[in-house]
Amino acid sequence: MANPLRLYLACIKNTLEAAMCLQNFPCQEVERHNKPEVELKTSPELLLNPVLICRNEAEKCLIETSINSLRISLKVKQADELENILTKKFLRFLSMRAEAFQVLRRKPVQGYDISFLITNYHCEEMQKQKLIDFIIQFMEDIEKEISELKISVNTRGRLVATEFLKQFM
Amino acid sequence: MAVVDVHRFAESITCHAWSPDHSMVAFCPNNNEVHIYKSSQDQWERLHVLEKHDQIVSGIDWSSKSNKIVTVSHDRNSYVWSLEGGEWVPTLVILRLNRAALCVQWSPKENKFAVGSGAKTVCICYYEQENNWWVSKLIRKRHESSVTNVAWHPNNILLATTSTDGKCRVFSTFIKGVDTKDSKAGSPAESKFGEQIIQLDLSYSWAFGVKWSPSGNTLAYVGHSSMIYFVDDVGPSPLAQSVAFRDLPLRDVLFISEKMVIGVGYDSNPMVFAADDTGIWSFIRYIGEKKEVSSGSSYSSQFSEAFTKFYGQSKATTANEASESSKSRGGVHDNCINSIVPLSKAGSPKVMRFSTSGLDGKIAIWDLESMQEELGHQF
Repeated sequence: MANPLRLYLACIKNTLEAAMCLQNFPCQEVERHNKPEVELKTSPELLLNPVLICRNEAEKCLIETSINSLRISLKVKQADELENILTKKFLRFLSMRAEAFQVLRRKPVQGYDISFLITNYHCEEMQKQKLIDFIIQFMEDIEKEISELKISVNTRGRLVATEFLKQFM
Repeated sequence: MAVVDVHRFAESITCHAWSPDHSMVAFCPNNNEVHIYKSSQDQWERLHVLEKHDQIVSGIDWSSKSNKIVTVSHDRNSYVWSLEGGEWVPTLVILRLNRAALCVQWSPKENKFAVGSGAKTVCICYYEQENNWWVSKLIRKRHESSVTNVAWHPNNILLATTSTDGKCRVFSTFIKGVDTKDSKAGSPAESKFGEQIIQLDLSYSWAFGVKWSPSGNTLAYVGHSSMIYFVDDVGPSPLAQSVAFRDLPLRDVLFISEKMVIGVGYDSNPMVFAADDTGIWSFIRYIGEKKEVSSGSSYSSQFSEAFTKFYGQSKATTANEASESSKSRGGVHDNCINSIVPLSKAGSPKVMRFSTSGLDGKIAIWDLESMQEELGHQF
């Protein structure tokens, strides 16, 4: 794997390690509620400063933290139209199956392609290190997946075109 | 390692407390129940399950003299449990809260207890003989956010609180008819109930875990910005010290002696802080040994990282990454430690044993006797 990507992922990993210090915290505003504060944003003192990690303009990662939840939003590199449509379709496919991933958010935060929401309950059930590894692994794989998809689309296109043009020979 | 006993009781533990003779432990397994276990011949046996709350129990304290358990929960209620004929009988305490209760502690004389809440208030509860119930008095309009922890001064009057607005405050809780005038010796005169003695503004982030030293001269609390704060001479002219450390933030603290503090938190390994002869506090070491191992491996990975960069070998990098990611934490606890409780013998000024519980569902008992030489003169 290219070295710049490793540095970018290492930076995200370290930030997540520091940011993932979550605890059970009941809502201050609504009685008998316990909701992720990063989504509700009712009490400004319960939110920490968001961290934005950019590799370049097209690729960035926003980490928003609150007392009981953490939101990670990713923007994946899209070099051309084809990559754009592939990313959109692929991430939509994943988002629709968000329950299977537990930490995946059904809708990405505006301006990003995909978002994860990690709450204190996830931290209680799962190992923190594994959670972080999952996010990093996901980011590594998504790039690979998209480029593979792109290659297969191109190959198929070429194949179809060849087959189609054969009849005029 | 100074661990005497580790036992995994549940998936996750929010808080725990020990019986007066330390033979039984009460804890909340991250739900609405409180379990009481007794140790007998290296085995833990479940004796009672206290079911009365309907949301997660956030605080438990077991009084050492009167043998009563007080529990508070996110369902806004509190119960005082007393043992009657082999059964724990609950008494409801009307806290008059409209948000979750977050923490609870008995006062040193055990005639009052304090409850911190998400309603930005603190309740001081005391027993009223004639009505046969627990009455709650509220300290209102002082906190700007949820009260995360409370700590009683040994004089039974002063109460320190920490809250998520980053402040630590000290209040007087003098209640007429419950506290007598002479017990106020040493604290500022004519302080009424709910009067704020001091507000400490050291932290920029949320404050958790507050404790007084055994004599009540020093106050320690932690901030979410990986800082621990020590305050001497609490009063009109306090002396404050902030100690920053490089690891993840702490959640709770415990005074071992006047000059030594143990902090526990997200790093899942207790840390020792101590004051030198001039009274300057500093971080000493971890109690568990896990850190040396992991720092060693990270050095080697840094080296190989440079190596691969130099030779452009991508293969070694991925192998290294895999080994790094599967690196286990290797300590006693594998998740955040959220409470630390002293196990001191009656009349002893020093705490030689303490227990920690965390989100990994383990309760560990630590003994400092064997670590005395390592920790040196500070003891």
